[in-house]
Amino acid sequence: MKPLVALAMLSLALPAHAAAPTALGIADVPALLAPPAKGTKIVALWALDCAYCEQNLSALRAWQRNHADVDLVFVATDSITQADTLEKRLHAANVDDVPSRAYAERTPDRINFLIDQTWGGETPRTLVIHADGRRRAASGALDEGRIAKLLL
Amino acid sequence: MRRALLLVPLLFAATAHADDMHGMAMGHEAPLGFDATFDGSGHLWVVDTLGEHVRVRRSDDMGRAFTQSTIVNPVGEPIYAEGENRPKIALGPQGDLYVTWSQPRKTPWSGFVRFSRSLDGGTHFDTPVTVHTDRADITHRFDSLAVDGKGNIVVAWIDKRDLEAAKVTNKPYLGAATYYSWSSDRGEHFAPERKIVDQSCECCRIALARAPDGGIDAFFRAIYGDNIRDHAFTSLPIGTGTLKVERATFTQWHIEGCPNHGPSLAIDAKGTKHAVWFAVTDGKPTISYGQLVPGKAPIHTFPVATLGASHADLAVDGRHVWIVWHQMTEKGLDLMLRESTDGGLHFSEPRQIAHTDGASGWPRLLIHDHRAFVAWNPDGQFRLVPTEALQ
Repeated sequence: MKPLVALAMLSLALPAHAAAPTALGIADVPALLAPPAKGTKIVALWALDCAYCEQNLSALRAWQRNHADVDLVFVATDSITQADTLEKRLHAANVDDVPSRAYAERTPDRINFLIDQTWGGETPRTLVIHADGRRRAASGALDEGRIAKLLL
Repeated sequence: MRRALLLVPLLFAATAHADDMHGMAMGHEAPLGFDATFDGSGHLWVVDTLGEHVRVRRSDDMGRAFTQSTIVNPVGEPIYAEGENRPKIALGPQGDLYVTWSQPRKTPWSGFVRFSRSLDGGTHFDTPVTVHTDRADITHRFDSLAVDGKGNIVVAWIDKRDLEAAKVTNKPYLGAATYYSWSSDRGEHFAPERKIVDQSCECCRIALARAPDGGIDAFFRAIYGDNIRDHAFTSLPIGTGTLKVERATFTQWHIEGCPNHGPSLAIDAKGTKHAVWFAVTDGKPTISYGQLVPGKAPIHTFPVATLGASHADLAVDGRHVWIVWHQMTEKGLDLMLRESTDGGLHFSEPRQIAHTDGASGWPRLLIHDHRAFVAWNPDGQFRLVPTEALQ
């Protein structure tokens, strides 16, 4: 087996490196919302002060494990200055192996608006973006059935 | 190998980007939560926070300058000071100043409701006390404060003690309970708390307003059935009087989550209950106005604003009703106004009365001498925005 192939297989077998959230500013929003090259991108918006959010992140992570074509990213509406707290919360929920972002903008509501004008800021919020550009969103904690419906 | 080398500068670029952000002024670094009120002499009182301290300031020139600034809690403590969870201020009939806030505890979503008072015109404040007798490290937060016509101080908050009890016995329980307490001796003591209702929303402010009989009424987001997050109304008796909690909105918004979006209530001299509330209807976030008929659907309802609109407040003086809210646009944050001069039957078109490229605490409508002003603090700079159109 070639070393590169072995490395690729190893990376699939192990959870991705747990990393602190990276900053999401206004300029980063178009890339966040860009349709994936294939499959589906799920943007899971959450907040430290949201008692329903971690269960939503866990449900989405569980879905992704069974659906290889899903690209998942967590976006905290809290400030990136709280990166340590965010990372600890994700770790405690056992979902810190998912790429994670946090707001870096002095007007968080402005990022909310740019991400999704039909979103009033309630959390959790799940945004689904398909490769063909179709988008759907839902508020509230999702279970497997609601995730499946949202991804149709 | 070549690919690995290409990754290196990318990683450095990402790191530098993140480090740059630490030097930026983030909206969340300086909490913007505040409250304000006028006293009978036209002095404006503003409460906000400085780090772990609650600060009360007095302005004698409509918010242009502050002639007095007093730290309420010289011994610092963590304070919730943003969004729906901000310090509050109210005045007693003898000129007393009352302040409440919520204090985060060690565990997520936990808090204690704190109270302090000044009996000497804001020169000194008493050592803060915790309002509720329950001292478990759980949610007691999203405090609201009002003073009734007899000078009783009413404090209401969101409380998870019943949720915790339900967990122990494996009983289903949605959301949190809403509790209140009162003081009939100018804040010297508070009565043991009473539960208003079980299974209400756990993250939305509670609106309190004085009714024509002097009593305090509450309007807050409750939970109906399977996470239908509509609103309930009740009067809050001082003592053991019966609580009559009735559903007052029927938007049918279903969300197993945190709206972070509480209502506002203002009651006119005839007892008409003017209200604004937020819900997602037909897929659109919507601020609605209506006149509450507890137990039935509100009347004279209409959508005040939709996409990008949030955190409305309202005030009433005679037949004049004002509604303000935050309107987010791609160009920044607009402070918007609609007003009615016929008791809420018809409202003007939306009008922008202020703008900021930054952030602000939620707007607060204040009435002084039959005029309405909006207390606002874009980027932490307090200002009083008049509602009259320029002629």
